[in-house]
Parts: sequence; structure tokens; C-alpha cells
Amino acid sequence: MLRNGIGRFQASKTLLAGMLALAMAAPALAHHGWSWTEDGFFQLEGVIRGIYLGNPHATLDVDVEGEIWRVELAPPSATTRAGFTEASAKVGDEVTAIGNRSRDSAEKRMKAVRLTVNGKTYDVYPNRVPPA
Amino acid sequence: MDFLVAIEQLGAVRLLKGSYYAYPIVNALHIASIGVLLTSVWLMDLRVLGWLRSLPETVFLRLLRRVALAAFLCAVVTGLLLFSVRASEYATLPVFLAKMALIVLAALNLVLFIVLGRNRPEGQAPDRGERAAALASALLWTGVLFAGRFIGFA
Repeated sequence: MLRNGIGRFQASKTLLAGMLALAMAAPALAHHGWSWTEDGFFQLEGVIRGIYLGNPHATLDVDVEGEIWRVELAPPSATTRAGFTEASAKVGDEVTAIGNRSRDSAEKRMKAVRLTVNGKTYDVYPNRVPPA
Repeated sequence: MDFLVAIEQLGAVRLLKGSYYAYPIVNALHIASIGVLLTSVWLMDLRVLGWLRSLPETVFLRLLRRVALAAFLCAVVTGLLLFSVRASEYATLPVFLAKMALIVLAALNLVLFIVLGRNRPEGQAPDRGERAAALASALLWTGVLFAGRFIGFA
């Protein structure tokens, strides 16, 4: 079975190439931190289709004219601290999210700093909200 | 998919999902396990590749393989817990599937390494096949580490 090991070396090379490709493809996907978002503020209005209030961070799925956007929030502890809980919103509610959208304009994804649902405003990242 | 959603609904998983302390602790233990696993894997691979010759190979590998297996088990347990809170979501992530595939390849590579070296007399240097498997091991496990970290940014 592969006595001289040449085949394994070839396999390792292929694998290394694959890993490099993976590493280079990676900036296209992102949700940790803010490096993947644009600097300017972005506002999204739509209807909530899904709510996840848990670790590692909360998210909303928002229907904007038939397209589903992923709105990333803070970790559940910070999101709850901002006042946004299971009782704050339900599927079907209208939401306005202000924050920073992905630099990849093909990606329907943003990270929200402020949510407005049912007439109430929640600053999930209070130190990043736009100046009043 | 129903099975994955069922995992997310387990009582303990729901507690972990909303926890303030437990989730970061499990996360930290996962990182610690991977740190120990990679350190022991790299040291074993370096020894097989010809570094650290002053250390007796059999004893050194026997010790580190035990450490690596224990660390791998801890990584699996903590990893399953991290996976469980959003199982149906993670299961669709290409980078998560790539990580699982790399773990399978690394396990097959370990079997290959053991098979290649099974008749080697004590004290004789590993042959090219074994050294190739050691190099593949270092690359595969490092790939597992990178793929795992990228899950947090996917």
C-alpha cells in the first residue's frame, strides 16, 4: 500500500491547495465581528420570518419584498440586556433594522445595531448606534 | 433535518442556547481540547519526520497518542454541544462539512500510518510512507483547526 509514499505527497499537495482555496474564499462569508460589514449605516425594513435568540448570537430572518435577509444581532445576553426578548417580536411582525450591511453586495446579510419592532426601539449595540 | 431540529429542542440544548456562562465555557473547553490535540499531533508528526531524535520514539508516541485521543474525545463532546444549539443551520454550512470531511480523512490517515508501521522493528527509522502519512496528519489536523475557526465567520 503506497510503499514509496509518492502518492501521499501528491495527496498532501492537493490538500494544501484546497486549504488555501478555502482560506481565500472565506472573507466572502462572515458574521463574527464587524470586519465583513460596510462602514456606513444601512436600513432594512421588512417582515420577520424567523427569530433565533440564542448563542453564539441572535439572528432575525427578514422578508424584504420576497427576499430573505439575515439580520445578525448581539449574543443573547447583550440582546436581552437591550430589552429584546422572546416576547418582543414574533414571526409576521414588521421590523426596521439599522446597522451595517455586508461588504459583499450579493449577500443579503447585515449586522444590526438598532431594531424597531411594534413601536419599540432596541439598541443591541448601544455604543455603535448612529448619532441622534 | 427533522432529527437536527429535534436536537435543537432538547431541554439541555435549550438551556445551553440561552445560557450566559455555560456556552462560553463549553467554547473555551473546545478550544483547549483542540490546542492539546494539535500540539500532541504536531509533536508526534515531527518525531516521525525525523525531528526530536533524542526522545525514544515508541514511548514518546505512546504517551502523545493517549493525550491526543483524550483531547479528541473532549473536542468531540464539546463540539457536539456547540453544534447542538443551531444544528440544522451548521449542518448546511460548507465550511462545517469541510471540517467533518477533514476529520474523516485524518482518521483514515491515522489508520494508514498504523498499518504502514506495524512490522517496523523497534529503533528502525520510519519509511517514506510513514513520513508521508505524518506530513498528511499535520496538514489535515491543521486544516481541521482552520475550517473550525471559519465556522465562526460563515
